[in-house]
Amino acid sequence: MNRFLRRLLAPADALLNGLYGWRLNPLYHSGALVVLTFVLLLVTGLYLVFFYRLGDPHASIVRITEQAWLGRWIRSLHRYASDAAVVAVGVHAFRMFAQGRSWGPRALAWVSGLLLLGLTLVLGWTGYVMVWDVFGLVLAREGARLLDALPLFSEPISRAFVGERELPGAFFFLNLFLHVALPVGLGALLWLHVSRVARPGLLPPRGLLWGMTGLLLALSILWPAPAGTPADLLRLPSRGPYDAFYAFWLPITRELPAALTWVGGGILGALALLAPWWSRPRAVERPAPSVVNERLCTGCEQCYQDCPYDAIAMVDRTDGRAGIMARVNPALCVSCGICAGSCAPMGVGPPGRTGRDQLAQIRDLVAARAPAPDDVVVIACTHGAGGVAQESRFDGAPVLPVDCAGSLHTSVVEYLVRSGAAGVLVVACPPRDCQNREGPEWLEQRLYHGREAELQDRVDRQRVRLVYADLAEVGTVAAALELTRRDVGMMGQARREADIVLEAECDLVAAQGLDGRQGPERRQRSQGLEGRRR
Amino acid sequence: MSQPRAWIGGGALAVGMTLALGWLSQVPYDAAGDVDAVVRLAWRTRGTRVEECRRLTAAERERLPIHMRQEEVCQGRTVPYRLVVVLDGRSVVNETVYPSGARADRPLYVYHEFAVRPGWHDLDIAFTREGVPSDTAGEQERERLGERESAAPPRLALTRRVMLGPDRIVLVTYDAEQRQLILKGYGAP
Repeated sequence: MNRFLRRLLAPADALLNGLYGWRLNPLYHSGALVVLTFVLLLVTGLYLVFFYRLGDPHASIVRITEQAWLGRWIRSLHRYASDAAVVAVGVHAFRMFAQGRSWGPRALAWVSGLLLLGLTLVLGWTGYVMVWDVFGLVLAREGARLLDALPLFSEPISRAFVGERELPGAFFFLNLFLHVALPVGLGALLWLHVSRVARPGLLPPRGLLWGMTGLLLALSILWPAPAGTPADLLRLPSRGPYDAFYAFWLPITRELPAALTWVGGGILGALALLAPWWSRPRAVERPAPSVVNERLCTGCEQCYQDCPYDAIAMVDRTDGRAGIMARVNPALCVSCGICAGSCAPMGVGPPGRTGRDQLAQIRDLVAARAPAPDDVVVIACTHGAGGVAQESRFDGAPVLPVDCAGSLHTSVVEYLVRSGAAGVLVVACPPRDCQNREGPEWLEQRLYHGREAELQDRVDRQRVRLVYADLAEVGTVAAALELTRRDVGMMGQARREADIVLEAECDLVAAQGLDGRQGPERRQRSQGLEGRRR
Repeated sequence: MSQPRAWIGGGALAVGMTLALGWLSQVPYDAAGDVDAVVRLAWRTRGTRVEECRRLTAAERERLPIHMRQEEVCQGRTVPYRLVVVLDGRSVVNETVYPSGARADRPLYVYHEFAVRPGWHDLDIAFTREGVPSDTAGEQERERLGERESAAPPRLALTRRVMLGPDRIVLVTYDAEQRQLILKGYGAP
């Protein structure tokens, strides 16, 4: 099912990449956009609460709306931002589910994310009841009807809305209190939501941040949200403006008995909350977490710094040698393999996917079919990367699929170039759409900016190209392949080496690392880093 | 995609999505549906409490802890009411209203809504206390002093012709001070 949903998502991703570029693709930043809307809601809400009157809620909303220069658009921005929050949460949840990023160690983020959505809807409910217009009354009565079906209250809440007497101020006070207090819970859930990721990107890039804020602001000014007809307990709700984002359920539940609504909602909610368990792959298909080869680990901390899920800790060595070494916490490891790409001596990674395993695989491929002098070899991420990863050849070029571009060890690229390939085209997912968060970013730094485990200087970088492409962006890959072929064609033939033994060099790195780089200063720095990350 | 086309397309999409957000934020919806007017019955009243008491024997008292040795133990209940509603000559409700709460000792609640066409309507409501069992009606019936004042009378009735305009709700409720059913709302005379 995930694959099918991913296919649905791919054309939208490709379209928005074409229009905005992957850096500003809002679909890639759906989570950060939620936080942006929360910030907008907080700022505008702080202003609005000063003008809200419990004694006459609707009249105070009308007064705010009549403040032509400030109140009107601030209230509208508050409302539109809350709507945008629901959209962004929906897109984010759908995206994570479609990409299979909701199970295993990510289950906590999934469950807390759903609770965030639920809390956001409750906050919206209290917000609309605060306005106390016809829509607020309908929401209040429907909420009361549903709550009365639960054996929680000694007296039916619905009685408050029958029109026997005016609603007490205590009702509006409680509602306001909830509307102001629940965001604290929202903050706590948000913290929990990102607690298992390293370096969470809480806000979108500046262009998207200001673009979205500007659009919502323009909408607020040009099309201010109306203050509906005041609520009247003894009048039928008139036809009026209803917020489809917060009341999408209303036309359905109003037709159903309350008990059936609870049963249906409970089943749907349980299905959603339990998605990490029913949607995960079978046990035999689940990738194993990374392991550290203590003999090879130099304690350099690179894997510890690169891990996007804080699944690696630096601990005292247990092999009798002095210093520290990496240790993977299997409960946090999603088996992304990014540590495999970060380890110069190739001492860490998921079983069968370490740097050494990758080298063995590429050596077998080259032995079976050595690259022709004009061959450009494509290395493509299986999660996205223009849909070429599953092909053994793309436009005649040999294709090597990898689980994540970030897990690709640069030695593989070096091996291919030194084996006589004219060029290597690495196809990675756009950085903000990486299945494993930071894979393409680290890969780019390893290829071009000297991040460990860096591509060695002896490799001609003009023969290596990195392109970002989403699942449906086959055209982008084809264009990059054509460009690479043209460029390397002008460079002349690559020099082919025989008997390339990179593992020996890596062993040397490991030995040097243990001898020279593992001093007390490094260990001290590591402990300081650990403290900062906590 | 060429840069100018991307700019135009991207701008148009952003504006379109923003306008869609604005429209969905205030989409017209008729919550009342096909309903034109409503007669609403809603009241809460304390029912009459009936207690059946008996004296404990000396042996029974002996078995109890010393601080619980009462002469008499009582088991009480609140008597249900029968609600009969006739609207425009048609019986629309004929039911027993039981006191709420797990021990059935909470007040009685009535809540019914009837969708009607705007115009004149004949309303006939009777809310009658069900009979107290004959074997306990005499000496064993005890209306507690505090409840005697607040409990609903044995029979409440309202017969009225009401006028309802479009989108109007007329409320029939219980006035604890007048101890009778009253009309509230636009249709009330």
